[in-house]
Amino acid sequence: MAPRRYRAIPVYAAVVLVSLAAFFPFYAMLMMSTYVSEQLFTGVKLLPGAFLLQNLKTILAIHYLHFYANSLVVAATHTVAAVFISALTGFAFAKYPFRHKKLLFYFILGSLMVPPQLGLVGFVVEMKFLGIVNSLFPLILPGIANAFGVFWMTQYIAAAVPTEILESAKMDGCTALRLFLQIVLPIIRPALVTIFLLFFLWSWNNYLTPLVIISREALYTVPLAISMIGSEYRTDYAARILALAVSTIPVLILFAAGSKQLIRGLTAGSIKG
Amino acid sequence: MAKPSPDSKTPYLLILPYFVLYFAFGLFPILFSLFISFTSWNGFSTMTFVGVANYVRLFFHDAAFYKALYNTALVMVCALPLSIVLGLLLAAMLKDYFDRSRNVFQLINFLPYITTPVAIGILFQILFDWKAGAVNSILLAVGIVKAPIYWLGHPWPARAVVVLLLVWQGFGYMMVIFLAGLSTIPAELYEAAKIDGAKWRDTFFRITVPMLRPVMTFVLTTGIIVGFRLFDEPQLLFSGEGEPIGGPDHAVETVVMTFYQAAFRDFSFGYGAAIAYGLFIVIFFFSFVAMRIVNRGNDYGT
Repeated sequence: MAPRRYRAIPVYAAVVLVSLAAFFPFYAMLMMSTYVSEQLFTGVKLLPGAFLLQNLKTILAIHYLHFYANSLVVAATHTVAAVFISALTGFAFAKYPFRHKKLLFYFILGSLMVPPQLGLVGFVVEMKFLGIVNSLFPLILPGIANAFGVFWMTQYIAAAVPTEILESAKMDGCTALRLFLQIVLPIIRPALVTIFLLFFLWSWNNYLTPLVIISREALYTVPLAISMIGSEYRTDYAARILALAVSTIPVLILFAAGSKQLIRGLTAGSIKG
Repeated sequence: MAKPSPDSKTPYLLILPYFVLYFAFGLFPILFSLFISFTSWNGFSTMTFVGVANYVRLFFHDAAFYKALYNTALVMVCALPLSIVLGLLLAAMLKDYFDRSRNVFQLINFLPYITTPVAIGILFQILFDWKAGAVNSILLAVGIVKAPIYWLGHPWPARAVVVLLLVWQGFGYMMVIFLAGLSTIPAELYEAAKIDGAKWRDTFFRITVPMLRPVMTFVLTTGIIVGFRLFDEPQLLFSGEGEPIGGPDHAVETVVMTFYQAAFRDFSFGYGAAIAYGLFIVIFFFSFVAMRIVNRGNDYGT
């Protein structure tokens, strides 16, 4: 339909301009991370400087890698568990009849409306009571039971997994767990990828939960660490900016690799319903 | 499925892990917080039951709570429509005018959404620094302003920075959701319109926008729900030494910032929990109203 050529020039210009504006803060961040702090006060830096390695040394010296490892452990375990539980629960809701199914499903939908801070005070007290405040568990556990994930997987599995295949496999004596692992999971891979990306992103970026729970520096995650570097090493702006830039790398890689899948997955899953 | 008898244990076993985890780490803390909100407690000493005193204080005697609500609603009312419109236009343009390069533009505009909000807050603090920030340098160099603007030092400019930050962060997400929605609109509609000689602008307003109404409802309600959770970015935007919490004159102090301050800085667990519940009531109300408005438009529209 597109009226191409000359008429389209304003459209191209608009899209390119918006994209440039979207990219500028990133670019500025990358560039600023290659200077020493004093130089940053002498004007905008549009070309890379020569102090990337020095800044890298500075952030490595404050155990940035250790915080990075914490974040990776938290995000990876949380996300794998949450995706698995979402798919398993969605499988049951999509393909099995059982009593009170509707009621239970509405219960899950209703919990979607509840903001996560609502239970935060109680959660902190609960974690203290269980004696696991000095571990990464308080960051991994909440949200493994993810209502959004279940809702989404139920929709997807109902539409994408043919009931006949499941039936014939069942005739051959396949157990429910094997059905799930060997038949359902391979079919719903696009949905798994999409939801993995989103869960990983939300976990990786989470700030409030670690802020109120984690007090030992050894357990800091990346967002907590970069907010703290802010106050402790305030003078070293450049190193701080490099830390910000580096914090984005894992999600950047994941989304660059999966952006096509993400859009396809979103199309198939959430919107139709 | 080959109709297993409805009393089969299998489906219950499959959903059991979810419900166990949800009750343990989702519902229990929520109910426990509700209980705590009726007490006066600092988390260590003995708990005193105070009835609805925390809620009376919150809704009738706490000007700071209403100011925080106002701040949050204000930046949202500005940022949400802007990012929706920008995201929608961009999605429609990308779909109709871009083919091979679409993925690149998608990723670039989606980048802000995946960046750690804490990093965004700090980055904008640096970019909008009145002395060394890139924004003032550029504005001065181009000659738009004569003297540097003290962005983060005055209430309204500070709010403007937060709105800008939120639009920058959110429009790429809107774009992706709208692109997903656009792909479900039947191509025949556009072809028919084209035969009738419709221009791009006509099809955008007559076909694209009406057909995307469900998606619009979705982004608007989730936008409100997420918007009221605003915390990381404004918290970090004013995280420097000597900077007041919530910016100049508390102009960008959000409800969750007030909640954090009360519960985890002043250790008023009871009052903090009451703020969280107060916010929940407000969110519930607003998203209900938003849904009603969008749906009513639908009745007349088609």
